Amino acid sequence: MIVKKRRRPLPLTVLSTTFVLLWVLMAAFPFIWTVWGSFKVEQDFFSRDSWWFAIEGPRTIAQTGSAFTGDGYYGAWVLRDFFSSVVNTIIVTVSVVVISLTFGTLGGYALARSGYRYTFWLLMLALVFRAMPHITLVSGYLLPFFEMNIWGHLPTAIIVLVAINQPFTLWMLHSFFLSIPKDLDESAMVDGCSRFQAFRMVVIPVMWPGVITTGLFSFLLAYNDFAVTAMLLSQPNQTMVPKIASFLGTIQQEGNVMFAVAAVVSATAPLFVLVMFFQRQIVSGLTAGAVKG
Amino acid sequence: MPHKAFFAFIMPSLLAMLLFIALPIVSVAVQSLYVQHERVVTEVETCAPFAGCTTETRVDAEATEKLRHAEPLGRFNGFGTYLDRNHLATAEIGAILADNAGFADIASRIYNLPFYRALAFTLTYTFVVTPLAMLLGFCIALGVNAIPPFYKGPVIFFSLLPMIVTPLVGALILYWMSSPQGILGATLQSLLNDPTLSLKSSAVLTWVTLLVYGIWHNAPFSFVVFYAGLQTVPHDTLESAMIDGANRWERIRFVVIPHLMPLATFVALVQLMDNFRVFEPIVGFSAEANATSLSWSIFNDLRGQVDQLFGSAAATSMLTIVGVVILLSPVLVRTWREFNRR
Amino acid sequence: MAEIRLKNVSKRWHNFVGVNNFDLDIADREFLVLLGPSGCGKTTTMRMIAGLDDISEGEIWLGDRMVNNLEPKDRDISMVFQSYGLYPNMTVYENIRFPLRVRKVPKELHHEKVMQAARMVELVDFLERRPAALSGGQRQRVALGRAIVRQPAAFLMDEPLSNLDAKLRVSTRAQIKNLQHTLKVTTIYVTHDQIEAMTLADRVVVMNRGVIQQVGTPTDIYDNPANTFVASFIGSPAMNLVSGDIENGTFRGPGITIAGLQTNVKGPVTLGFRAEDASLVSEGGEFGAEVYSMELLGEATMASFRIGDQLVSIKSGKEYRAEIGDVVHAAIPASICHLFDTDTGVRIARTPGN
Ligand SMILES: Nc1ncnc2c1ncn2[C@@H]1O[C@H](COP(=O)(O)OP(=O)(O)OP(=O)(O)O)[C@@H](O)[C@H]1O
Ligand SMILES: [Mg+2]
Repeated sequence: MIVKKRRRPLPLTVLSTTFVLLWVLMAAFPFIWTVWGSFKVEQDFFSRDSWWFAIEGPRTIAQTGSAFTGDGYYGAWVLRDFFSSVVNTIIVTVSVVVISLTFGTLGGYALARSGYRYTFWLLMLALVFRAMPHITLVSGYLLPFFEMNIWGHLPTAIIVLVAINQPFTLWMLHSFFLSIPKDLDESAMVDGCSRFQAFRMVVIPVMWPGVITTGLFSFLLAYNDFAVTAMLLSQPNQTMVPKIASFLGTIQQEGNVMFAVAAVVSATAPLFVLVMFFQRQIVSGLTAGAVKG
Repeated sequence: MPHKAFFAFIMPSLLAMLLFIALPIVSVAVQSLYVQHERVVTEVETCAPFAGCTTETRVDAEATEKLRHAEPLGRFNGFGTYLDRNHLATAEIGAILADNAGFADIASRIYNLPFYRALAFTLTYTFVVTPLAMLLGFCIALGVNAIPPFYKGPVIFFSLLPMIVTPLVGALILYWMSSPQGILGATLQSLLNDPTLSLKSSAVLTWVTLLVYGIWHNAPFSFVVFYAGLQTVPHDTLESAMIDGANRWERIRFVVIPHLMPLATFVALVQLMDNFRVFEPIVGFSAEANATSLSWSIFNDLRGQVDQLFGSAAATSMLTIVGVVILLSPVLVRTWREFNRR
Repeated sequence: MAEIRLKNVSKRWHNFVGVNNFDLDIADREFLVLLGPSGCGKTTTMRMIAGLDDISEGEIWLGDRMVNNLEPKDRDISMVFQSYGLYPNMTVYENIRFPLRVRKVPKELHHEKVMQAARMVELVDFLERRPAALSGGQRQRVALGRAIVRQPAAFLMDEPLSNLDAKLRVSTRAQIKNLQHTLKVTTIYVTHDQIEAMTLADRVVVMNRGVIQQVGTPTDIYDNPANTFVASFIGSPAMNLVSGDIENGTFRGPGITIAGLQTNVKGPVTLGFRAEDASLVSEGGEFGAEVYSMELLGEATMASFRIGDQLVSIKSGKEYRAEIGDVVHAAIPASICHLFDTDTGVRIARTPGN
């Protein structure tokens, strides 16, 4: 005798599955479409006749002889020097992640282990800082930075991003440290470590998952930032996102939007890879904040 | 942990925050009280033969530059900037209130003042996108929770993309698709049978597009948090409810939702903060003609290549900060009460 | 009020058998206890009755309804979970009221019923509290109150006392017994604590590895275990089991010889007797060995002996004293002995006249 699953009525299953499928389509389609279209010429991707052109690419075939073309990528990376902004992005994101995590683990550990009242106030202060729109802070930086002649350099943008990132990093690492029992570092200190040694040799090794998760989010913040990098970096030091924004100003008139499309796809690809490899950490990170926050 | 060790550990982080978050806020506050120098004007008398002498006023570029260099802040203006036409526009509002043709007239005239325009969109965006994105995220979480485990990984992967993508880039991608030559724009044109339809052309459509983008971008966050929350719903309680006679909806209503409530508060808080600084989508959608936000106004003031309006940007920033504090105040007050009770 | 019938019920996950061919009729108003070691399928059986788990095979009848395909809410039962399953966001009052609310019982009856249930479980003073602000025993009583607030066809209780301390367990046990008596509702109660089983049950079902070992009244199970598993599971200490050979009514094992047993068996058997039925004697007896350990229990003294690889315990009066290593004799009359088949463990019935 086969016992039927009677847990979920069929219409409900159909409805919820359709809904999920629809959502996945909504979430994924724009990316698939744009990646596909980035290998076409502009008259296909932005076709006045039919969007079907973007799929088959008749003009692309007419102009380049094949259904796919790397012209957009060539234009962006070589002609428009997208390459150097990629290098800048790498420098900025790596530095931001490393410095943020260093500061953040120290601070988060202190907040998690100190029982005094002021930790609460510091965390609240961090929350308020976290809420500040970045552009309001930028409007505070510009004039002093001009005066001090440090405007436009990569280190300036890096340290600013680190600072902006601190409230979030502190909160997140603080909650991760709270989940590690106090006994661990206390027994290490009884065994003869100093506070810092206990932190470095006993706590950090078991904290790796939390550190990696937090690092991912620091990376995303630095990588996705537009307000700070657009306003604080000079033209040659630009990172990818402001570079893409500057493409829009210049290229659209010249009729080569495809450079921007190619640049957009290039900038998104690393994020895809990131999500693919670190999906679990990202999910756990979002939740860790939620559970403790 | 003793005070000394505590401060040693937290010093780098605290220093960074004080120098680059607290100090800039002070700097913004100071800047907002100043306004850029007027151009130095000199009167030059030119006497040409036969024509007699004429006095001309000219901008003395060199002197202007010198003055700016000497006093980069500009000249003191008190609260003048806050009250001028581009910010709180007290005089203009007074005039509108004194002489108007009904409520609609007041609203439309106030909406024409740049600050209130930006404020209107910012608030609409914040308070429309946040609840709708949370609702959508919750529904997706319920849906994904019910599909076979094998498909959950890929679904979560695709679901994360709209959130993780660079906001400017995400906005651009949707902008291109919704332009009249893009797939969405063209489809809409043919569906509604209106070949001139362009999402950019009307204020309402622009707003709707931006709001849809906002929901698309924000829903995954709620989804992930709620989905994780669903995994920890206490099994016993759920089964008790089943035996007590609760149907599917009542189980969600009485067990699942109460369990997710703390998470929902957290999500709402984070999303309100993030949505209040809405900025990149306006740049990405080139929507500034129909929709501006507070952050965008600041950006616009600072972007001027020749005349960066520091004073004006600072005043808007201060008003934005006040907005943020108002937004956060319920949370802060509540947390403070809870903390004191402990 | 209803009787419950389980007809050859089985539960399988892939090829693991959780419950195998469970066949039992439970009478109306009976207090039935499922007893067995951890993992033997007690919870699974109960969850199938409740409708929380699907049945792989067989039928379950509640009264005259076959409930295999009914949702839990349509089976008209109430259940008390091991970890209570209270609604953390509701007050005690709302928790108890919840079944009435979702079952659309007319509103005007709610208050009276809730108060009546609350009085029964002695919770009237705590009605406005949330579960988080209650002690374990109080939470337990909220779960009970929620179960009794309506008159279900049956109560199911899954180890409801296991989270309580020893003292509270005794008093709550009495309360449950009394409630069942007052309400006269068929009750199935899961436990692995045999004292609970003995004190509460009208009938006990002993299970092992998903299979029923014996069904009977507590005395029945204690006095006439159906096999070596039941014999070694019930009682504290468990029944002594000694393997040996029997011929012509005489059992011979290491250091032990008992005459006057059944004459209808021959060959290897397992002999069982309870520690309190045997007695220590200074001379003679059926058994003699060195004392392995002495335990003072307060009301008695227990001497254990090592026979082969088995431990045999014998109880004696509380003044009895012997040193470890002393050789001691014990009287084990044939009348207190039980015989079990060595291979199958099944009890060898005493033929009348023997
Ligand atoms: N969902 C499941 N999938 C596979 N096996 C399961 C599942 N649920 C229970 N089992 C197995 O079924 C057997 C019986 O489990 P059950 O929970 O009924 O034991 P129990 O008698 O209630 O034990 P305890 O006294 O520890 O509560 C166990 O061996 C368990 O591992
Ligand atoms: Mg169990």
